[in-house]
Amino acid sequence: MTEMLRNEGLKRVRMRLITAVVFVFTLTCSGSFGMEDVVSSSGPGMTLLMILILPLVWSVPMAFVASELGSMVPEAGGLYRWIRRSMGEYWSFQAGWWWTLSLYVDSAVYVALALDYLQAKYAFDGTTRALIGVGIVAVFTFINIRGLELTGWSLTIIQVGVMVPLVIFTVWGIAKGQGNPFNPLMPEGESFLTSLNLGLAIMMWMYSGWESISTLAGEIHEPQKVIPKALMIGTPLVIITYFFTVFAAIRVANIGDPNGWTNMWTGGGGYDFVELSQTLGGGVLAYLMLMSAVLSNVGLYAGYLATGARPMFQMSRDRLLPRFFGVTHKSWGTPWPAILTMAVVNAVLINFNFDALITIDVFLLMFPYVLIYLAIIVLRVREPEAVRPFRVPLPTWLLGAWVAAPIAIAVIALFVNGVDWMIGGLIGILTGPIAYLIFKSIYKGVTDDELEGSTVTSDGALTAFGAEVEGASA
Amino acid sequence: MKGKKMAMYAAVAGIIAGGSAIAGGLYAHSTQPLFGSPQFFGMKWDQGFSGVGMLVGLGIIMLAGGFISFKWPSVGATIVCLGAIVGLIYTYDRGMYRWVPLVYYWWAPWLFAWIAGIFAGLSMSQRVQQLGAQKDGAAERR
Repeated sequence: MTEMLRNEGLKRVRMRLITAVVFVFTLTCSGSFGMEDVVSSSGPGMTLLMILILPLVWSVPMAFVASELGSMVPEAGGLYRWIRRSMGEYWSFQAGWWWTLSLYVDSAVYVALALDYLQAKYAFDGTTRALIGVGIVAVFTFINIRGLELTGWSLTIIQVGVMVPLVIFTVWGIAKGQGNPFNPLMPEGESFLTSLNLGLAIMMWMYSGWESISTLAGEIHEPQKVIPKALMIGTPLVIITYFFTVFAAIRVANIGDPNGWTNMWTGGGGYDFVELSQTLGGGVLAYLMLMSAVLSNVGLYAGYLATGARPMFQMSRDRLLPRFFGVTHKSWGTPWPAILTMAVVNAVLINFNFDALITIDVFLLMFPYVLIYLAIIVLRVREPEAVRPFRVPLPTWLLGAWVAAPIAIAVIALFVNGVDWMIGGLIGILTGPIAYLIFKSIYKGVTDDELEGSTVTSDGALTAFGAEVEGASA
Repeated sequence: MKGKKMAMYAAVAGIIAGGSAIAGGLYAHSTQPLFGSPQFFGMKWDQGFSGVGMLVGLGIIMLAGGFISFKWPSVGATIVCLGAIVGLIYTYDRGMYRWVPLVYYWWAPWLFAWIAGIFAGLSMSQRVQQLGAQKDGAAERR
């Protein structure tokens, strides 16, 4: 037996379905802030159509694929473990590394955005901003280290704070707003393709994150049941949230000016949700919406701090990263060094202008996404009889055709924003092989059989641990 | 055996990466002698650090990395990938703006450096036994 078992030390919590749905909602949506930019660049009609159609070829496939893989390989680290089982150590390390690197930057962005909203309202100086930022990071680092139960509760409270103003705005906005939000379909002078292109990158960003909750599987009791259900409930919930809030926002923007939607953008001077709330309901609603926007970003940070730290923990358990990251808290059963490391990096990043680093984010996420889609096909072919408590109700060939769409979109996404946009991503990609070459030579890696925490043997049979988590007989 | 083959592929990819950087640098110099006059993060640097200088200089280092990969793929591929990373960082030579004309010259070196890294990594995953694999002679599952 090795000194450190894969899932040993992690505390499994009985996560209620509603809490799991809140996790999924937080990681994939957390309000509609940012959609304003899509409306002005792609046109109101095109935005609403994209909200309805893009999920069918982008996020719904990922939700289903993550459900099947998560139910088949319900282990901490999620996507990293799926790819390891299907494509081996090298590619799983690459996916885990790129995904983690992306989230290190990504999660810092959410704190920065929350601070931007607060600073625009209260105009505090740089030192105050830095202190508030570090304070947010410190609070959610403690909550995360304390365990998934407390994280789940905090996310639930945060999402209530996010959604109450948005629901008020949506109902009021649809009733009081003006115009047909589907008209015009596109901005004047834009073709269908250019209009689509302008908003696609943001929309893809808004509809990402379905694989994230799977990284927590090692700490959830019966993850193979809870996570797929949460994803199936969360998917339509996110689509409905985006559709009706944006529908209302366009109608409010068009009050007194049928082309008011052309002024919808974030970052000051345009009609964002806060400004639109001011128009609709005055100062009180605007203040509530501001708090909603701040909480939305804080919630995203808390959620991604939880999920972003787990692949690193698991790679350490697989002896591919320093052993430090594989340590768990003795009482709370969480991978505290992995969480703390991520938090420290975030605390540093939020105090810098990291426009250049932000470009790494989407680019690096696309490669793990492609590997996840390939992983499900490989596992369907290689292990057709493996236990899958949730199975995408499609034959393998049809599933292959379905996931070809998001793979194509991911590849296109790499090129839609121009060459200058992708340099950070190109650099980030190259760090993957270098990291593997260094850490593999130092730590060697470990076989799945060697770890008691493994769910299957090399022959594909369930281990005793696997039987326990999958609720089946070994 | 398979690991050795992968190492050879890594070496070939590394050599192509270095060669394409050198070729790109020489081509840029032939069409525009002062291509990429140095302005790295706003500082005036020696002409050796111009766009051409970086392409050729880093290309030579990457080429050497490619040859080293025949013997030590992990060391060689790391040199090749680092060369491409430094080259790409250098394209930020107008403050925070990427200098697109130079980026185009780094496309091929980047791609082949990545391929070299992939083959070196796959070679290593086969040549370096995981803990536990020695015990019963079992190779890793995949």
